[in-house]
Amino acid sequence: MSDFSRDNLSDFVRDVMIVARQEAHRMRHYFIGVEHLFIGLLEIKGGITTSLLADEGLLIEYVIDAIRRRTGKGSRDRIWPDLPDTPRAKIIMGIAQELAFEEGRKNIQERDLLMAILEENDNIPVRVLNALGINMPVFRENARTRQVKRSVTGTFTKIDIAATFEGDLDHDQMFILRRMFHGYSEVRIEARLTRGFSSAVVLIATPIHADQRADASVVVKIGPSDAIQEEAIRYDRYVKNTLPPLTARLEDRPIAPDNSNYAALKYTLLTDTQGQAMDLGMMLNDWTALELGKWLYDQLYRTFGDRWWKQSRKYVFEAWKEYEWLLPPALTLQYIDTPDNTPVPPGTTIIKPGKRPKLDEVEYGAIVQVANYIVQKVDPDKGTIWLALGDGMNTPRASEIEVTNIDFSQDTYFRGEAVEKIYGRVWRTRHERLLDAVRALQPDFDLKGEFISVNQHRLPNPLRSYMIMLEHPVEGMLSVIHGDLHPGNILIGPNHSALLIDFAHTRNGHTLFDWANLEVSLLAEIFTKNIRPDWSGVREVFEHIYAAYRGQTVHEGDPIEALAIQQLVGSLRRIVRECVSSPNKLTEFYIGVFFCSMRAVTWENTLSLAGRRLLFLLAALAVEQFRDEMKPDSKDKSSNATATDQTRSGEA
Amino acid sequence: MQVTIMFMSGVDDGRSLHFESETDGQFVHDEWTIRMGREGDNDIVLRDRFTSRHHARLLWKQDSWWLEDQKSTNGTFVENDDDFFNDTRVQLLPLQEGQLFRVGRTWLRIEVSAPL
Repeated sequence: MSDFSRDNLSDFVRDVMIVARQEAHRMRHYFIGVEHLFIGLLEIKGGITTSLLADEGLLIEYVIDAIRRRTGKGSRDRIWPDLPDTPRAKIIMGIAQELAFEEGRKNIQERDLLMAILEENDNIPVRVLNALGINMPVFRENARTRQVKRSVTGTFTKIDIAATFEGDLDHDQMFILRRMFHGYSEVRIEARLTRGFSSAVVLIATPIHADQRADASVVVKIGPSDAIQEEAIRYDRYVKNTLPPLTARLEDRPIAPDNSNYAALKYTLLTDTQGQAMDLGMMLNDWTALELGKWLYDQLYRTFGDRWWKQSRKYVFEAWKEYEWLLPPALTLQYIDTPDNTPVPPGTTIIKPGKRPKLDEVEYGAIVQVANYIVQKVDPDKGTIWLALGDGMNTPRASEIEVTNIDFSQDTYFRGEAVEKIYGRVWRTRHERLLDAVRALQPDFDLKGEFISVNQHRLPNPLRSYMIMLEHPVEGMLSVIHGDLHPGNILIGPNHSALLIDFAHTRNGHTLFDWANLEVSLLAEIFTKNIRPDWSGVREVFEHIYAAYRGQTVHEGDPIEALAIQQLVGSLRRIVRECVSSPNKLTEFYIGVFFCSMRAVTWENTLSLAGRRLLFLLAALAVEQFRDEMKPDSKDKSSNATATDQTRSGEA
Repeated sequence: MQVTIMFMSGVDDGRSLHFESETDGQFVHDEWTIRMGREGDNDIVLRDRFTSRHHARLLWKQDSWWLEDQKSTNGTFVENDDDFFNDTRVQLLPLQEGQLFRVGRTWLRIEVSAPL
């Protein structure tokens, strides 16, 4: 084993050492281990290590966080002086030195250090890379032979935007497209699919060879890199083996350039005979409600149902476990820096996993200690982290808490970290956020009471209902669900077949979540398009929804929307009734409709005012329906319904 | 009998400790115990704030190694085959040679003993 001297380091590896020390300090480890060296290799852009991982479709930040999760953050109390190297780090530096000598060099370069870590093969970074699915022999061979490239070379892929394409592509998006279609002479951007409410861009692109031969079009999704990474993981875990034979499939690993905050995924696309690709959102204008409803049942539900929604089992849960994450954070805290062994200040509210905390009762200004919550998201620029009870993959992402005013130069937080303890002062509550969102709708009814008046109906006030709804036990069904089922994620394939894309939220969950979400988004999207944005226009549409929900019959002379809504709601109910845990009991569905509607009420930037107004009323109606069904004998007691359950019409 | 335990994380990562039943740990009635914890009287002293004073022990009995938690605060774990990031907490578990286990935040491993 060669000893190495810190004088024998290339400039690059010298920088790696500096980053490794910083990382050790930030993580309160107070030693230099292989994990810190490897993170050093990852944090310096433009090296071999980052480019190899980008080729594997792994986002650098994701790998760093995975290593941090594996080791965990240390305590602020130090139990030894200085910053010693671990025995294994010394061994690895020795191997790196030998590799340099073999090449006739004294200086240890990036590749020497990387190869030493990979050859030692028994350290934390290698264990993490294995767990992330990297084929280590291949990776090692690539590390040995990869040329250092400071910029992307080769042919320049031209981006050609079709005349029919609406909107712009920014620099980052073009960069990713070029990276994705590297080797083609041209890529034609055919269309932009209508999107739901996420920040991702979804395009249909056709790659073209130098001889003008076009390959099959694909769906490209470009979005924030952590979301894209998550989608690829969920696709592997939940989707890959459950798809019908003919559908959109994820191709390759994601493209995650190491110098961009964006990443991209590519789905195969099946087009209709004219080569047209469209999502359900584009068809909404062409189809009647009856056609739409029939298609949803015959194509969408039947195609995916066998492997997803119909493969369900009984699932009893409290509503918050599945639905709380749709609401704004329960609390926003301003961070209070507190040394590790500080006694808990008197009057502190302690929030920890176990019994569900009554976060809605904590008041402005109160001091809160949050213990053992999981970091969901980190925004160092805003000095903010988001904590929740679980990670959303295996455990529910509930009881979200936002912590602001964190100084990231002093402290580090990473996605997936279980934060032992953090203190903050409450400066915003969920109730305030919801109240603000509803006030922005400029309601012409009182928000203070238990009820709101809409048309001639007296409906439960959603703002006074959500806390009770969260606590409600639900007897439902559990299955694989898409997790974000709305018209922008549903594509129409050959012969009007149904294809799905966007699996960033796919998981095992409450089966009816998908159908509540789809119903809410369809109602808002279709029926608020051409209405007067004032309350009278919204009330009119709502009245039709009310009638459909209450099972009232449509009369001759009623507006065409009344019939359309009845037909759409009716066909969705047919699916819903096949997915409930006990026949004719829709309480679990109304819980879903309530929370999906309440979520949309807070989408000030992405959903129209009329849409948000309508969904607030729909939330109220969902509570009403829920309460009605909860009554011992709901059929006799439906207070203001004019029709009984048997006449719930519109069903096929 | 002999065994080698290697540190797989933390400040001592890569260090290996060699034990002999005749001189190290406690050997009573064909059962050999190696104790692990933060306190100096353990056979393996862990420099880890997340370990308890007497955290866990390794037992050799019935021709195999067992890992036993000693009511520690932060737990004793083995790797979870289904989810790399959610380790499985153990009370008493037989260990395979070469299997990683975690005492507090420190990962350790029983090395495959070299044939004589």
